[in-house]
Amino acid sequence: MLLRTALALGIALIATPALADPEPAPAASEALVTNQVSDSLSFVDLATFKSVAEIKIGGKPAGIALSPDGFRAYLTSPDGKTVTVVDTKARAVLRRIAVEGGPLGIAAHPSNGLIYVADWYSKRLTAIDPERGETRGQIDVGSSPSGIAVTPDGALILTADRDSNQVSIVDAATFKSVAAIPVGTRPFGITLDPSGIRAFTANVGSDDVTVIDLNQRNVVGRVQAGHHPYAIAFANGHGFVTNQSGGTVTVFNAATLAVEKTIEVGDTPEGIAADPTGNFVYVACWFANTLERIDAATLAVTGQAAVGDGPRAFGSFLSGASLSSANDPKALPAATPAAGRSEP
Amino acid sequence: MSLRGFGLGAAFVALLPVTAMLPVTAWAHGPTRQKVVETVEINAPLEKVWAVVSNFQDMSWHPAFVKTEGTGGNDVNATRILTTKDGGKINEKLDKWDAEKKMLQYEITEVDVKVVPVTGYESWITLKGEGDKTTMEWKGKFYRGYVNNDPPPELNDDAAVAAITGVYKSGLEALKKKLEGG
Repeated sequence: MLLRTALALGIALIATPALADPEPAPAASEALVTNQVSDSLSFVDLATFKSVAEIKIGGKPAGIALSPDGFRAYLTSPDGKTVTVVDTKARAVLRRIAVEGGPLGIAAHPSNGLIYVADWYSKRLTAIDPERGETRGQIDVGSSPSGIAVTPDGALILTADRDSNQVSIVDAATFKSVAAIPVGTRPFGITLDPSGIRAFTANVGSDDVTVIDLNQRNVVGRVQAGHHPYAIAFANGHGFVTNQSGGTVTVFNAATLAVEKTIEVGDTPEGIAADPTGNFVYVACWFANTLERIDAATLAVTGQAAVGDGPRAFGSFLSGASLSSANDPKALPAATPAAGRSEP
Repeated sequence: MSLRGFGLGAAFVALLPVTAMLPVTAWAHGPTRQKVVETVEINAPLEKVWAVVSNFQDMSWHPAFVKTEGTGGNDVNATRILTTKDGGKINEKLDKWDAEKKMLQYEITEVDVKVVPVTGYESWITLKGEGDKTTMEWKGKFYRGYVNNDPPPELNDDAAVAAITGVYKSGLEALKKKLEGG
């Protein structure tokens, strides 16, 4: 813990001049891809775009979140009923945390040190301190909560409640559900746009994306996607939606919501994440067993890396991506023991 | 007898516990999707194989099915109902049909897990020709029959994979025999 604190502080101090004159965010260095069929985690070096390591996880890992400092990955294994904590630098399993039900969706809070885990089989959202392996709270949201997003300021937790066709808004400080907003049919992935004000759900049932304005707390738009959309990422002014059954990624204008292009990718594209530079988007293709790179300027696939069997990467899976948040002083408590003070 | 009769001998209890049979929403499914890929090389030219397998309204090349009834021909969103030897019904819908790529994609829209122990089933048939040989790939993705946690063995992931593997293997074998024989 001391080492992590020192590292986080060091990064923050070095980066201080950048606060006045922000420099472009550094590129992510690695993609961490959960392979559900082969029960493993692949580490893909993004510079060479090759898998450099694969470690055994167990319990059929699907969801993934990275700690704000990037030193930890948290993986859900719905069949194993566990959350696995991985040291991303050592590429080793640190601990396994037993959870009830079928843990699938997962997200890390930007500053309070907690992770949030959704239970696919019930309405349960659980707050966990992953360093201590302790449950810190449990609430009901809608049925079959799937994707989870946390606003950049850490104030709100959003869950896509798949079987209630709604998004729940949870106050992170009190850990209480404060609103539910009806969306399209069977929302699965949920992503905030870079402003942190609009939330987008990928609706598996209605083949579309619902746009929510978090200030107004209502639906402000809809985007037609392909067949069975799964998750969404934002880069270079575009939204990118993986369409599981179509083998495509729908690209839309993040401001006007107009569909701009449909990109063919490997079979059954699922997890998708944008590089913080906005230059690339990475897509895990479950049937093709690839991680694919889309150039966010040309909207073309520019690389394919072989990973394990059945990559899902449902969540935030780019390491190094979140290291940039160490520039933000608010992110510092994430690596300090004082983080426990803001527990729910 | 169900499609499991074409499986790899995975034991299946025909009378499932009542709880396993409770109706569930068509959207519910287990957490871990399964995949099966089977291929066969057929000593017949591409167009000849495509002529048989591309007809969405006729699945008679597969010994598991005694009847195909449907509407919409080979158009996207065409439907068919397959009937198994013991009267089980499988409702399917065509999602893609590409004569150039020699590929069709379809999904099960409704089936009792007693007939096929899967949910959320989608499938692709793809042909590749080389001279007078054709390679057919049949692949599927699906979830197990039991949509809740802690499935009984007859509706778990292994049972689903075994059933679909059996359907694919027996179908490809029969197709090869049919096309090479005549």
